[in-house]
Amino acid sequence: MEKEQLKQQLKKQIITFLNLMQVKPEDIKDDEPLFGEGLGLDSIDSIELIVLLNREYGINIQDPKEGRKVLVDVNTMVDYIIAHRTK
Amino acid sequence: MFYIHDTICISPQTSYTDIDLGKINGPVENKLLAKEPSYEGIPLGILRRMGRAVRMGVGAALQITKQNLDGIIIGTGNGGMEDCIKFLNQIIEYEEGMLTPTNFVQSTTNAIAGQIGLMTKNKGYNCTHVHRGLAFENAIIDADMLLTENSSAKYLLGAVDEISAYNYNIDLLDGWFKKEKLTNENLYDLNSAGSIAGEGAAMFLASKEKIGASAEIKAIHILHSDNEQMIASELKKFISKYTSEEKLNLVLSGENGDNRLQKYYSTCETQLPEKLAIARFKHLFGEHASASALAVWLSCQIIIKQSVPKHLLKFPANNAGINEILIYNNHKGIQHSFILISRVDG
Repeated sequence: MEKEQLKQQLKKQIITFLNLMQVKPEDIKDDEPLFGEGLGLDSIDSIELIVLLNREYGINIQDPKEGRKVLVDVNTMVDYIIAHRTK
Repeated sequence: MFYIHDTICISPQTSYTDIDLGKINGPVENKLLAKEPSYEGIPLGILRRMGRAVRMGVGAALQITKQNLDGIIIGTGNGGMEDCIKFLNQIIEYEEGMLTPTNFVQSTTNAIAGQIGLMTKNKGYNCTHVHRGLAFENAIIDADMLLTENSSAKYLLGAVDEISAYNYNIDLLDGWFKKEKLTNENLYDLNSAGSIAGEGAAMFLASKEKIGASAEIKAIHILHSDNEQMIASELKKFISKYTSEEKLNLVLSGENGDNRLQKYYSTCETQLPEKLAIARFKHLFGEHASASALAVWLSCQIIIKQSVPKHLLKFPANNAGINEILIYNNHKGIQHSFILISRVDG
Protein backbone atom coordinates (compact mmCIF):
# COMPACT_ATOMS: atom_id res chain seq x y z
CA MET A 1 0.00 0.00 0.00
CA GLU A 2 1.26 3.47 -0.90
CA LYS A 3 2.22 5.72 2.02
CA GLU A 4 -0.48 8.27 1.12
CA GLN A 5 -3.13 5.56 1.00
CA LEU A 6 -1.97 4.29 4.37
CA LYS A 7 -2.29 7.79 5.84
CA GLN A 8 -5.87 8.08 4.62
CA GLN A 9 -6.72 4.63 5.97
CA LEU A 10 -5.14 5.45 9.34
CA LYS A 11 -7.06 8.73 9.62
CA LYS A 12 -10.34 6.87 9.04
CA GLN A 13 -9.36 4.29 11.65
CA ILE A 14 -8.47 6.99 14.20
CA ILE A 15 -11.89 8.60 13.69
CA THR A 16 -13.68 5.25 14.07
CA PHE A 17 -11.69 3.98 17.06
CA LEU A 18 -11.91 7.24 18.97
CA ASN A 19 -15.49 8.02 17.85
CA LEU A 20 -14.39 11.50 16.78
CA MET A 21 -17.79 12.89 15.90
CA GLN A 22 -17.74 15.83 13.48
CA VAL A 23 -14.12 15.14 12.40
CA LYS A 24 -13.46 14.13 8.77
CA PRO A 25 -10.23 12.51 7.51
CA GLU A 26 -9.32 15.71 5.63
CA ASP A 27 -9.56 17.66 8.91
CA ILE A 28 -6.56 15.73 10.32
CA LYS A 29 -3.29 17.16 9.01
CA ASP A 30 -0.35 14.79 8.62
CA ASP A 31 1.94 16.81 10.88
CA GLU A 32 -0.71 18.05 13.34
CA PRO A 33 -0.05 16.94 16.97
CA LEU A 34 -2.50 14.26 18.08
CA PHE A 35 -2.37 15.21 21.78
CA GLY A 36 -2.79 18.51 23.58
CA GLU A 37 -3.20 20.99 20.74
CA GLY A 38 -4.29 19.73 17.31
CA LEU A 39 -6.77 16.88 17.70
CA GLY A 40 -6.75 17.38 21.50
CA LEU A 41 -6.60 13.71 22.42
CA ASP A 42 -5.93 12.56 26.00
CA SER A 43 -4.33 9.64 27.85
CA ILE A 44 -7.31 7.28 27.37
CA ASP A 45 -7.08 7.95 23.63
CA SER A 46 -3.40 6.94 23.67
CA ILE A 47 -4.45 3.48 24.93
CA GLU A 48 -7.10 3.32 22.21
CA LEU A 49 -4.44 4.16 19.57
CA ILE A 50 -2.08 1.48 20.90
CA VAL A 51 -4.95 -1.02 20.65
CA LEU A 52 -5.63 0.23 17.09
CA LEU A 53 -2.01 -0.44 16.06
CA ASN A 54 -2.22 -3.89 17.62
CA ARG A 55 -5.49 -4.93 16.04
CA GLU A 56 -5.10 -3.41 12.60
CA TYR A 57 -1.36 -3.77 12.01
CA GLY A 58 -0.18 -6.43 14.47
CA ILE A 59 2.12 -3.98 16.26
CA ASN A 60 2.76 -4.33 20.00
CA ILE A 61 3.98 -1.23 21.79
CA GLN A 62 4.89 -2.13 25.34
CA ASP A 63 7.46 0.54 26.20
CA PRO A 64 5.75 3.85 27.10
CA LYS A 65 8.82 5.79 25.90
CA GLU A 66 8.46 4.19 22.48
CA GLY A 67 4.74 5.03 22.48
CA ARG A 68 5.50 8.69 23.07
CA LYS A 69 7.73 8.78 19.99
CA VAL A 70 5.20 6.96 17.79
CA LEU A 71 1.97 8.70 18.78
CA VAL A 72 3.07 12.21 17.84
CA ASP A 73 1.21 12.78 14.58
CA VAL A 74 -0.08 10.83 11.56
CA ASN A 75 3.35 10.97 9.89
CA THR A 76 5.16 9.33 12.83
CA MET A 77 2.46 6.68 13.17
CA VAL A 78 2.57 5.80 9.46
CA ASP A 79 6.38 5.60 9.44
CA TYR A 80 6.25 3.25 12.44
CA ILE A 81 3.51 1.12 10.84
CA ILE A 82 5.53 0.73 7.63
CA ALA A 83 8.62 -0.31 9.61
CA HIS A 84 6.96 -2.66 12.10
CA ARG A 85 3.65 -3.99 10.73
CA THR A 86 3.12 -7.74 10.84
CA LYS A 87 -0.21 -7.74 9.00
CA MET B 1 -42.12 12.61 51.97
CA PHE B 2 -40.56 15.36 49.80
CA TYR B 3 -41.12 17.91 47.07
CA ILE B 4 -40.11 17.88 43.42
CA HIS B 5 -38.82 21.11 41.96
CA ASP B 6 -37.15 21.03 38.55
CA THR B 7 -37.99 18.15 36.23
CA ILE B 8 -36.24 17.14 33.00
CA CYS B 9 -37.06 14.23 30.74
CA ILE B 10 -35.47 12.72 27.64
CA SER B 11 -37.92 10.22 26.18
CA PRO B 12 -39.32 8.97 22.88
CA GLN B 13 -41.75 11.91 23.06
CA THR B 14 -41.23 15.66 22.80
CA SER B 15 -40.36 16.01 26.47
CA TYR B 16 -36.96 17.69 26.74
CA THR B 17 -37.78 21.21 25.63
CA ASP B 18 -41.01 22.63 24.16
CA ILE B 19 -42.92 19.80 25.83
CA ASP B 20 -45.77 18.60 23.62
CA LEU B 21 -47.63 15.53 24.86
CA GLY B 22 -50.53 16.05 22.46
CA LYS B 23 -48.44 14.82 19.53
CA ILE B 24 -47.29 11.19 19.80
CA ASN B 25 -44.02 9.95 18.31
CA GLY B 26 -44.36 6.36 17.14
CA PRO B 27 -42.04 3.35 17.38
CA VAL B 28 -39.28 2.45 14.91
CA GLU B 29 -39.14 -1.31 14.32
CA ASN B 30 -41.22 -1.85 17.48
CA LYS B 31 -38.88 0.27 19.62
CA LEU B 32 -39.80 3.59 21.16
CA LEU B 33 -36.40 5.26 20.83
CA ALA B 34 -35.57 8.37 22.82
CA LYS B 35 -35.42 11.68 20.94
CA GLU B 36 -31.98 12.74 22.09
CA PRO B 37 -31.12 16.44 22.15
CA SER B 38 -27.81 17.83 20.85
CA TYR B 39 -26.33 17.84 24.40
CA GLU B 40 -24.76 21.27 24.10
CA GLY B 41 -23.70 21.22 27.77
CA ILE B 42 -21.45 18.17 27.34
CA PRO B 43 -17.96 18.82 25.86
CA LEU B 44 -17.47 16.88 22.60
CA GLY B 45 -14.36 15.16 23.98
CA ILE B 46 -16.48 13.61 26.76
CA LEU B 47 -19.64 13.11 24.70
CA ARG B 48 -17.87 10.94 22.12
CA ARG B 49 -17.07 8.32 24.76
CA MET B 50 -20.56 8.10 26.21
CA GLY B 51 -23.02 5.33 25.47
CA ARG B 52 -26.74 6.12 25.12
CA ALA B 53 -27.66 5.56 28.78
CA VAL B 54 -24.82 7.72 30.09
CA ARG B 55 -25.54 10.38 27.46
CA MET B 56 -29.25 10.57 28.28
CA GLY B 57 -28.65 10.54 32.02
CA VAL B 58 -25.93 13.17 32.01
CA GLY B 59 -27.72 15.30 29.38
CA ALA B 60 -30.89 15.40 31.47
CA ALA B 61 -29.09 15.84 34.78
CA LEU B 62 -26.93 18.77 33.68
CA GLN B 63 -30.03 20.95 33.41
CA ILE B 64 -30.71 20.37 37.13
CA THR B 65 -27.18 20.26 38.53
CA LYS B 66 -26.65 23.95 37.77
CA GLN B 67 -27.66 24.43 41.41
CA ASN B 68 -25.63 23.36 44.44
CA LEU B 69 -26.67 19.83 45.30
CA ASP B 70 -25.95 17.65 48.32
CA GLY B 71 -25.85 14.48 46.28
CA ILE B 72 -26.83 12.41 43.26
CA ILE B 73 -29.22 9.44 43.47
CA ILE B 74 -29.83 7.48 40.28
CA GLY B 75 -31.87 4.37 39.54
CA THR B 76 -31.19 2.15 36.52
CA GLY B 77 -32.22 -1.39 35.68
CA ASN B 78 -29.43 -2.08 33.21
CA GLY B 79 -27.18 1.00 33.00
CA GLY B 80 -24.98 1.17 29.90
CA MET B 81 -25.61 -2.41 28.84
CA GLU B 82 -24.74 -1.74 25.18
CA ASP B 83 -21.18 -0.74 26.13
CA CYS B 84 -20.95 -3.71 28.47
CA ILE B 85 -21.75 -6.07 25.60
CA LYS B 86 -19.26 -4.31 23.31
CA PHE B 87 -16.60 -4.87 25.97
CA LEU B 88 -17.53 -8.54 26.46
CA ASN B 89 -17.54 -9.07 22.69
CA GLN B 90 -14.05 -7.57 22.52
CA ILE B 91 -12.84 -10.12 25.06
CA ILE B 92 -14.04 -12.92 22.76
CA GLU B 93 -13.03 -11.29 19.47
CA TYR B 94 -9.51 -10.48 20.60
CA GLU B 95 -9.08 -13.66 22.65
CA GLU B 96 -8.66 -11.87 25.97
CA GLY B 97 -5.85 -9.81 24.44
CA MET B 98 -5.50 -6.05 24.29
CA LEU B 99 -8.81 -4.35 25.14
CA THR B 100 -9.82 -0.69 25.02
CA PRO B 101 -10.91 0.85 28.33
CA THR B 102 -13.70 3.17 27.14
CA ASN B 103 -16.49 0.60 26.76
CA PHE B 104 -15.69 -0.89 30.15
CA VAL B 105 -15.56 2.47 31.92
CA GLN B 106 -18.90 3.52 30.40
CA SER B 107 -20.67 0.22 30.94
CA THR B 108 -20.86 0.03 34.71
CA THR B 109 -24.25 0.99 36.12
CA ASN B 110 -22.76 3.71 38.31
CA ALA B 111 -21.05 5.38 35.31
CA ILE B 112 -24.09 7.68 34.96
CA ALA B 113 -24.08 9.07 38.51
CA GLY B 114 -20.28 9.04 38.53
CA GLN B 115 -20.02 11.02 35.31
CA ILE B 116 -22.60 13.55 36.56
CA GLY B 117 -20.58 13.96 39.77
CA LEU B 118 -17.31 14.39 37.86
CA MET B 119 -18.71 16.90 35.37
CA THR B 120 -20.38 19.01 38.04
CA LYS B 121 -17.54 18.60 40.58
CA ASN B 122 -20.10 17.30 43.07
CA LYS B 123 -18.29 15.46 45.84
CA GLY B 124 -21.43 14.72 47.85
CA TYR B 125 -23.46 11.53 48.20
CA ASN B 126 -23.36 9.54 44.96
CA CYS B 127 -25.41 6.38 44.75
CA THR B 128 -26.87 4.19 42.02
CA HIS B 129 -29.76 1.81 42.70
CA VAL B 130 -29.98 -1.21 40.42
CA HIS B 131 -33.05 -3.11 41.58
CA ARG B 132 -34.23 -3.82 38.01
CA GLY B 133 -37.86 -2.64 37.70
CA LEU B 134 -37.78 -1.03 41.16
CA ALA B 135 -34.48 0.83 40.73
CA PHE B 136 -36.11 4.28 40.61
CA GLU B 137 -38.45 3.44 43.48
CA ASN B 138 -35.45 2.52 45.64
CA ALA B 139 -33.79 5.78 44.63
CA ILE B 140 -36.94 7.60 45.87
CA ILE B 141 -36.80 5.75 49.19
CA ASP B 142 -33.10 6.61 49.51
CA ALA B 143 -33.80 10.30 48.79
CA ASP B 144 -36.60 10.28 51.36
CA MET B 145 -34.37 8.81 54.07
CA LEU B 146 -31.58 11.32 53.35
CA LEU B 147 -34.01 14.25 53.34
CA THR B 148 -35.53 13.04 56.63
CA GLU B 149 -32.04 13.20 58.16
CA ASN B 150 -31.22 16.58 56.65
CA SER B 151 -34.27 18.66 55.76
CA SER B 152 -32.28 21.51 54.19
CA ALA B 153 -30.56 19.26 51.63
CA LYS B 154 -31.24 19.07 47.90
CA TYR B 155 -30.65 15.97 45.80
CA LEU B 156 -30.61 15.12 42.14
CA LEU B 157 -32.98 12.17 41.85
CA GLY B 158 -33.51 10.33 38.61
CA ALA B 159 -33.52 7.19 36.53
CA VAL B 160 -32.20 6.08 33.14
CA ASP B 161 -32.49 3.03 30.94
CA GLU B 162 -31.60 2.43 27.31
CA ILE B 163 -32.68 -0.08 24.69
CA SER B 164 -29.58 -2.17 24.06
CA ALA B 165 -29.13 -5.01 21.61
CA TYR B 166 -28.62 -7.23 24.65
CA ASN B 167 -31.69 -6.44 26.69
CA TYR B 168 -33.95 -6.09 23.63
CA ASN B 169 -32.93 -9.38 21.97
CA ILE B 170 -32.94 -11.43 25.16
CA ASP B 171 -36.25 -9.98 26.36
CA LEU B 172 -37.76 -10.43 22.87
CA LEU B 173 -36.80 -14.11 22.90
CA ASP B 174 -38.14 -14.35 26.44
CA GLY B 175 -41.52 -13.04 25.28
CA TRP B 176 -41.43 -9.61 26.95
CA PHE B 177 -41.76 -7.69 23.67
CA LYS B 178 -44.37 -8.24 20.97
CA LYS B 179 -43.28 -9.49 17.56
CA GLU B 180 -46.29 -8.20 15.58
CA LYS B 181 -46.11 -4.68 14.13
CA LEU B 182 -46.84 -2.15 16.83
CA THR B 183 -48.14 1.38 16.86
CA ASN B 184 -48.86 3.66 19.81
CA GLU B 185 -52.56 3.12 19.18
CA ASN B 186 -52.78 -0.68 19.01
CA LEU B 187 -50.52 -1.51 21.98
CA TYR B 188 -53.37 -2.14 24.43
CA ASP B 189 -55.69 -3.91 21.97
CA LEU B 190 -53.64 -6.80 20.58
CA ASN B 191 -54.43 -9.33 23.34
CA SER B 192 -51.05 -11.02 23.05
CA ALA B 193 -47.99 -11.53 25.22
CA GLY B 194 -45.28 -8.90 25.41
CA SER B 195 -45.13 -5.14 25.22
CA ILE B 196 -43.23 -2.44 23.35
CA ALA B 197 -39.58 -1.57 24.15
CA GLY B 198 -38.80 1.92 25.36
CA GLU B 199 -36.09 4.00 26.95
CA GLY B 200 -35.46 7.38 28.49
CA ALA B 201 -34.17 9.42 31.38
CA ALA B 202 -36.08 11.50 33.93
CA MET B 203 -34.36 13.74 36.47
CA PHE B 204 -35.80 15.67 39.41
CA LEU B 205 -34.61 18.10 42.02
CA ALA B 206 -35.79 16.66 45.35
CA SER B 207 -35.97 18.65 48.59
CA LYS B 208 -38.15 19.35 51.63
CA GLU B 209 -38.63 22.95 50.44
CA LYS B 210 -42.30 23.48 49.66
CA ILE B 211 -42.03 26.96 48.16
CA GLY B 212 -41.72 26.82 44.39
CA ALA B 213 -42.25 23.06 44.20
CA SER B 214 -43.98 21.51 41.18
CA ALA B 215 -45.37 18.51 43.04
CA GLU B 216 -44.96 16.40 46.15
CA ILE B 217 -44.15 12.71 46.36
CA LYS B 218 -46.43 11.84 49.27
CA ALA B 219 -45.96 8.11 49.60
CA ILE B 220 -44.40 5.06 48.00
CA HIS B 221 -44.82 1.33 48.48
CA ILE B 222 -42.94 -1.46 46.73
CA LEU B 223 -43.44 -5.20 46.81
CA HIS B 224 -42.45 -8.41 45.08
CA SER B 225 -45.25 -10.86 44.36
CA ASP B 226 -46.95 -12.72 41.52
CA ASN B 227 -50.25 -12.91 43.39
CA GLU B 228 -52.71 -10.37 41.98
CA GLN B 229 -55.06 -10.64 44.98
CA MET B 230 -52.22 -9.71 47.30
CA ILE B 231 -51.22 -6.74 45.10
CA ALA B 232 -54.83 -5.51 45.02
CA SER B 233 -55.12 -5.89 48.78
CA GLU B 234 -51.89 -3.88 49.29
CA LEU B 235 -53.20 -1.21 46.92
CA LYS B 236 -56.41 -0.91 48.91
CA LYS B 237 -54.41 -0.47 52.13
CA PHE B 238 -52.13 2.09 50.45
CA ILE B 239 -55.09 4.18 49.27
CA SER B 240 -56.83 4.13 52.64
CA LYS B 241 -53.60 5.00 54.48
CA TYR B 242 -52.31 7.85 52.32
CA THR B 243 -55.20 9.32 50.35
CA SER B 244 -59.00 9.29 50.02
CA GLU B 245 -61.72 9.08 47.38
CA GLU B 246 -62.14 12.85 47.58
CA LYS B 247 -58.48 13.69 47.06
CA LEU B 248 -57.48 11.07 44.49
CA ASN B 249 -58.30 12.20 40.95
CA LEU B 250 -56.29 10.00 38.64
CA VAL B 251 -54.58 6.63 38.47
CA LEU B 252 -51.64 6.36 36.09
CA SER B 253 -51.48 2.71 35.21
CA GLY B 254 -48.36 0.92 33.95
CA GLU B 255 -50.56 -1.31 31.75
CA ASN B 256 -48.33 -2.31 28.84
CA GLY B 257 -50.42 -4.46 26.47
CA ASP B 258 -49.00 -7.75 27.77
CA ASN B 259 -52.06 -9.95 28.27
CA ARG B 260 -50.17 -12.04 30.88
CA LEU B 261 -49.85 -9.00 33.15
CA GLN B 262 -53.36 -7.65 32.60
CA LYS B 263 -54.70 -9.59 35.59
CA TYR B 264 -52.65 -7.38 37.96
CA TYR B 265 -54.01 -4.15 36.52
CA SER B 266 -57.60 -5.43 36.20
CA THR B 267 -57.63 -6.77 39.78
CA CYS B 268 -56.18 -3.53 41.12
CA GLU B 269 -58.82 -1.53 39.24
CA THR B 270 -61.50 -3.30 41.32
CA GLN B 271 -59.99 -1.68 44.43
CA LEU B 272 -60.20 1.86 43.08
CA PRO B 273 -62.96 4.32 43.92
CA GLU B 274 -65.81 4.27 41.37
CA LYS B 275 -65.64 6.66 38.42
CA LEU B 276 -61.99 7.42 39.08
CA ALA B 277 -60.10 8.43 35.94
CA ILE B 278 -57.47 5.92 34.76
CA ALA B 279 -54.71 6.86 32.34
CA ARG B 280 -51.93 4.82 30.71
CA PHE B 281 -48.44 5.89 29.64
CA LYS B 282 -46.53 2.93 28.17
CA HIS B 283 -47.65 3.80 24.60
CA LEU B 284 -45.56 6.97 25.03
CA PHE B 285 -42.46 5.69 26.79
CA GLY B 286 -42.51 1.91 26.22
CA GLU B 287 -41.70 -0.81 28.72
CA HIS B 288 -38.37 -0.62 30.51
CA ALA B 289 -36.98 -0.83 34.02
CA SER B 290 -37.15 2.95 34.58
CA ALA B 291 -40.66 3.47 33.13
CA SER B 292 -41.98 4.55 36.54
CA ALA B 293 -39.57 7.52 36.57
CA LEU B 294 -41.06 8.74 33.32
CA ALA B 295 -44.52 8.23 34.85
CA VAL B 296 -43.51 10.48 37.76
CA TRP B 297 -42.33 13.11 35.27
CA LEU B 298 -45.63 12.76 33.37
CA SER B 299 -47.58 13.12 36.63
CA CYS B 300 -45.71 16.35 37.39
CA GLN B 301 -46.65 17.66 33.94
CA ILE B 302 -50.31 16.73 34.47
CA ILE B 303 -50.33 18.45 37.86
CA ILE B 304 -48.59 21.57 36.54
CA LYS B 305 -50.88 21.86 33.50
CA GLN B 306 -53.98 20.52 35.30
CA SER B 307 -54.99 18.55 32.24
CA VAL B 308 -54.60 15.01 30.96
CA PRO B 309 -53.96 14.47 27.23
CA LYS B 310 -56.93 12.51 25.84
CA HIS B 311 -54.84 9.72 24.35
CA LEU B 312 -53.69 8.76 27.87
CA LEU B 313 -57.17 8.17 29.24
CA LYS B 314 -58.56 4.67 29.61
CA PHE B 315 -61.50 5.77 31.77
CA PRO B 316 -62.12 9.50 31.78
CA ALA B 317 -63.79 11.27 34.66
CA ASN B 318 -65.22 14.71 35.23
CA ASN B 319 -63.00 16.27 37.82
CA ALA B 320 -62.61 19.96 38.43
CA GLY B 321 -58.89 19.70 39.11
CA ILE B 322 -56.12 17.16 39.57
CA ASN B 323 -54.91 17.07 43.16
CA GLU B 324 -53.47 13.60 43.58
CA ILE B 325 -52.21 11.00 41.13
CA LEU B 326 -51.55 7.38 42.02
CA ILE B 327 -49.04 5.53 39.83
CA TYR B 328 -49.30 1.76 39.81
CA ASN B 329 -46.49 0.11 37.88
CA ASN B 330 -45.54 -3.50 37.48
CA HIS B 331 -42.32 -4.90 36.02
CA LYS B 332 -42.46 -8.39 34.56
CA GLY B 333 -45.31 -9.42 36.85
CA ILE B 334 -43.06 -9.59 39.91
CA GLN B 335 -41.96 -6.09 40.92
CA HIS B 336 -44.81 -3.74 41.83
CA SER B 337 -44.88 -0.14 43.02
CA PHE B 338 -47.42 2.44 44.13
CA ILE B 339 -46.33 6.09 44.09
CA LEU B 340 -48.63 8.88 45.26
CA ILE B 341 -47.99 12.33 43.81
CA SER B 342 -49.78 15.42 44.98
CA ARG B 343 -50.33 18.98 43.87
CA VAL B 344 -48.63 21.54 46.10
CA ASP B 345 -51.07 23.95 47.78
CA GLY B 346 -50.35 27.64 47.76
